[in-house]
Amino acid sequence: MLLSVKNLHVKYGNIEALHGISFDIDEGEIVTLIGANGAGKSTTLHTITRLPPPDGPRVTEGEILFKGQSILKIPAHKIVSDLHITLAPEGRHIFGNLTVLENLTLATYARKDRDNIPKDLQRVFELFPRLEERRKQRSESLSGGEQQMLAVGRAFMSGGRILLLDEPSMGLAPLLMYEKFRTLKRLNQEEGITILLVEQNARIALQFAHRGYVLDTGEIVAQGSSAQLTNDPDVKKAYLGG
Amino acid sequence: MEILVQNIFNALQWGSFYALIALGYTLVYGVLLLINFAHGDIFMVGAYIAFFLTTFFLGEYGVIAPGSLAGVTILMLAVPLTMILTSMVGVTLERVAYRPLRDKGAHRLYVVITALMCGLILENGNLALLGASRKKFPELLEKTVWTFGNVSVTNLKVMVIFAALLVFLFLQFVVTRTKTGMAMRAISYDKFAIPLMGIPINNIIVFTFILGSGFAGLAGLLFAMSYPILEPYMGALIGWKAFIAAVVGGIGDIRGAFLGGFLLAFVEIGVVAVFPSTLRDLMAFSVLLIILWWKPTGLFGIAKTTKI
Repeated sequence: MLLSVKNLHVKYGNIEALHGISFDIDEGEIVTLIGANGAGKSTTLHTITRLPPPDGPRVTEGEILFKGQSILKIPAHKIVSDLHITLAPEGRHIFGNLTVLENLTLATYARKDRDNIPKDLQRVFELFPRLEERRKQRSESLSGGEQQMLAVGRAFMSGGRILLLDEPSMGLAPLLMYEKFRTLKRLNQEEGITILLVEQNARIALQFAHRGYVLDTGEIVAQGSSAQLTNDPDVKKAYLGG
Repeated sequence: MEILVQNIFNALQWGSFYALIALGYTLVYGVLLLINFAHGDIFMVGAYIAFFLTTFFLGEYGVIAPGSLAGVTILMLAVPLTMILTSMVGVTLERVAYRPLRDKGAHRLYVVITALMCGLILENGNLALLGASRKKFPELLEKTVWTFGNVSVTNLKVMVIFAALLVFLFLQFVVTRTKTGMAMRAISYDKFAIPLMGIPINNIIVFTFILGSGFAGLAGLLFAMSYPILEPYMGALIGWKAFIAAVVGGIGDIRGAFLGGFLLAFVEIGVVAVFPSTLRDLMAFSVLLIILWWKPTGLFGIAKTTKI
């Protein structure tokens, strides 16, 4: 397994947000975590990326293993630079005061494979031509959809091989949303990037992912292939609108 | 005419001191949105560090034979060493005073108050350690005066102005052209996403304090050479003035701090040229007040967007 989460208990302050969840992801897979608001989806991603205090969650029990090794003691920036696990966070969090190109360049800050950077930048511009057109613009002047592209492009530029996506469909019109998922699929198929997708929109998530887990108030209540979950009567009822 | 040129040179020299200190305020603000009120006192500590280094090299403590090093050599040694040691003072403040609060998620207000207290601790720590007597900074360079008509310029004055200009160009380059500079600008906009780019956030913050405090140390050394009387409160007023200069220029912006420093000096010297010198600060700050009233974000400030 590339990434395994085992019996993970996580607290924010004194409140336990995850009550012992377990799941895993194999290389090249697209796995989705679906669930309602407050189910613990973002918490799971923030725990994997080891976000530091005061924002970061605290692991009280359990393990996160990357290729069999615990990552709980690794600082956040090394999760990206050494393990190549990268997060495109909810709400995008692009650096609005930098240009598009500066955002993409800054993401390469800790990369050791300097020679691959120009090629990867070409790739980002090929996947998202809008970003190339606007590369000199301050990124806060981009539309919401373009900022989403930049957030994904940035994650790719940071050398990420495991891409954690937090609500990528949020705030996107349906047409843009499908376009975005098509691009993400290309990243998976053509670049071999493993994807862990967190989504409220279970319908599109299950169309896109190979496998999925259903998270409900800090616990995993169902799991299986996308087809199994789509046909599961409980999942259907709770997350797919009957 | 000659008086005018003379005054311009004086203003350029004072502006250089303000600018060198203002750059440190603006750097730290640009990254952490923190007004590092201890910065003026770091300048003072820099002057004292320079004092002890130069007197050491002059042989006053018996380690080095007196007169064995030329004044220029001592200056060449004192510049980098003062900058390094002063930057260590700045980094120490960040480590022991600011970072613990930041890690606990304290509101910026508390960090600013902490900075104020750190400044007072530096002032009074100095007082306790060295006593209230003033120190006389030794003369390192033979004073060369270039005279053009009635205008005279010293080599020291030219050196101060060049130093400020070089520091400005260096910082402007670092901030706008390097990845570290990008990271510095990005932190103030969105701290959350910095580690997601593989960037060790505390390293960038420490680097910022190294730059700001190092150049405050340089300013301390040059100031002590120009006005060779040192006392523990020497950083207080000049620190406040440099801070105001940074705000008027648009705090967070390198160009703003540089320009703000010179603007303040020109207004001050301009006032003194026309009015009694007791009116200097009153009138100078009134002018700055009017500038802020007209442009509250400062000359280079853009409301809540690019900072640094």
